[in-house]
Amino acid sequence: MSERKVRIGFLGVAHMHSVSYASNLRKMAGVEVVGMWDRSPTLAAEWSKRLGVRRYERAEQLLDVEPDAVIVCSENALHRPMVELAVDRVHAILCEKPIAATLADAQAMIDRCAAAGARLQIAFPVRFAPSIQELKRRLDADELGQVFAVNCTNHGSMPGGWFIDPELAGGGAVIDHTVHVIDLLRWFWNAEVTEVYAEVGDSLLHPGLGIDDAGLLSFTLSNGVYGSLDTSWSRPPSYPVWGDVKIEVVGERGVIYLDALHQYVTVASNATGKTQWVSYGSDIDRGLMVDFVDMVRSERTPSITGEDGLAALAVALAAYESARRGEPVTPENVLPTLYR
Amino acid sequence: MQKIGVIGTGSIADVHLEGWRRMPGVEIVGYYDLVPEAAARAAQRYGGSVFASLEALLAAVDVVDICTPASTHKELVLAAADAGKAIICEKPLARHFADAREMVEVCERAGVMLFPAQVVRFFPMYRRVKERIDAGAIGKPAVYRSARCGAFPRPGAKFSAGHYADFAQSGGVALDVGVHDIDFARWCCGEIERVFARGLTFAGRPYQDHAQITLRFASGAIGFIEVSWAHPRGVFRTRVEVAGDQGLIEWDSLDRPPLLAEFYDEERGLQRLAGSPVAAEDEPYYAELAHFIDVIAGRAQPVVTARDGLEAVRAALAAIESMRSGRPVALKEFGG
Repeated sequence: MSERKVRIGFLGVAHMHSVSYASNLRKMAGVEVVGMWDRSPTLAAEWSKRLGVRRYERAEQLLDVEPDAVIVCSENALHRPMVELAVDRVHAILCEKPIAATLADAQAMIDRCAAAGARLQIAFPVRFAPSIQELKRRLDADELGQVFAVNCTNHGSMPGGWFIDPELAGGGAVIDHTVHVIDLLRWFWNAEVTEVYAEVGDSLLHPGLGIDDAGLLSFTLSNGVYGSLDTSWSRPPSYPVWGDVKIEVVGERGVIYLDALHQYVTVASNATGKTQWVSYGSDIDRGLMVDFVDMVRSERTPSITGEDGLAALAVALAAYESARRGEPVTPENVLPTLYR
Repeated sequence: MQKIGVIGTGSIADVHLEGWRRMPGVEIVGYYDLVPEAAARAAQRYGGSVFASLEALLAAVDVVDICTPASTHKELVLAAADAGKAIICEKPLARHFADAREMVEVCERAGVMLFPAQVVRFFPMYRRVKERIDAGAIGKPAVYRSARCGAFPRPGAKFSAGHYADFAQSGGVALDVGVHDIDFARWCCGEIERVFARGLTFAGRPYQDHAQITLRFASGAIGFIEVSWAHPRGVFRTRVEVAGDQGLIEWDSLDRPPLLAEFYDEERGLQRLAGSPVAAEDEPYYAELAHFIDVIAGRAQPVVTARDGLEAVRAALAAIESMRSGRPVALKEFGG
């Protein structure tokens, strides 16, 4: 039985994950990447050439070829207009994380997609890391007994570009790196963050940057677990890899240390002038693409919903609010008008 | 020749005595312990006499090495200061801030040296971290992280597990272990402005304790410390990472050790033994005690002062207060 071909377009490719998403889709049977558009002609030209994907001058032209789904990898603040542009023309939308730069935008996207009957998925590829799935399996099997605490890092290198533009990104390291790990914890335990305290550092690691580049969150979850998360862009250019996703879980029967991406060969090269850790781990973006295409094809509900994206964003924004106030905050209390 | 008297002969005293025994220029004169059998065992193992009273020991020594639980330190330090002896005092300096402050002030007034045994400053990898920061390798420290995680303590002496489980006596893991990493964080990043902490200390689990401490330094840097007595028995995991505006330094006890032995037998299956040996003089407790003797003898400037020990206690107790109140605690206003 031959599967129906799934046709996908890219609306905005400013987030570098779009490259990996597109190259994975191009390798998948029964999938066609029908075209792309980006507001930057330079980026669009380069991206379309690099990936061999047809470029459209205007976003509407891409929608006119009637893709089944679009992937939105624009700058955070432009997710909403991209989604609103596409929502009546496609069956499904995959939106890069964070869902948006504000909760108002996130809620509007969710509501608009629901009204139009378009299924909205948020791109949290780390859920597809085999080591993360193994950790979830062990937690589901209750191997640790009562879990007390979780100690997490999502370190990165300072990405530059629009990521450090408050208007386009909505924030720096905290908005960029809170949402991945918070999404994982919500998913592991079907729990919500109930309180956040944060120390946020502006231009701390990169003097003159003009945006937060360091963040430490301390939080509690609705299942009674407390935890910490380091979101800092603290990996210097001389470091052997871009960053990490680490989760250490302490429970009554033991501890699990997870360094999710630590499957590396060490490459010392005079060409780069430094030693690099080059991943041999399974491509987590492939897992995300397989899941998304399956969703588009089967017409099931998304595995990662807009509400998941909104909840993770709310924690990042609550962290900023905590840092401003100098006290712990509960997401519901600091963001009341956006939690109806 | 420096004449050493050891007060309290439990498990940490054994570690000190292994150092004293092989250190040139010192003599182990003897011991005082509320449990005379413990002092007698030490005398048998390391030489020297058992003293029947604190006063008798103080009369016979130049240097007092206090290896008792924190809640007893003040009384002993004040007596030793009154007798004009140089004092080495195990960490934490005291169970309560007011006691630690009084100890420090009395010693300053009496002109006697008081050394808090903040041994982490003498661990070779931690020394190297500090040295590289001072050399400018990472620029200005911005994000500090460290961890010190093991099982609930149950050293030789029978009362110890009960002692550590009694929060009123020990202060739990945040004080007993927290002062190690807090002191090292201060050494690397300067004064701590405020702390926020969560943990198990008030969770009603007497033989499991754990704390996550978030720090803001006066420099603007931020920090995170995890200390645990909730890890599986046999585990002792430590790590440290300091990111600056020009680079990053990290070390993790889970990293590959220089020596790894693997054995198999049918009964126990695979056995793995890891080792990271150092030269005798670099063993951290030996290096710490030898440094204090060097300072007493005028051969060195102190790497760690009584004020450092006091500030570590202040921040650790502030973390405990934060766990209790659920609020951040500013150190400037915190005195207890």
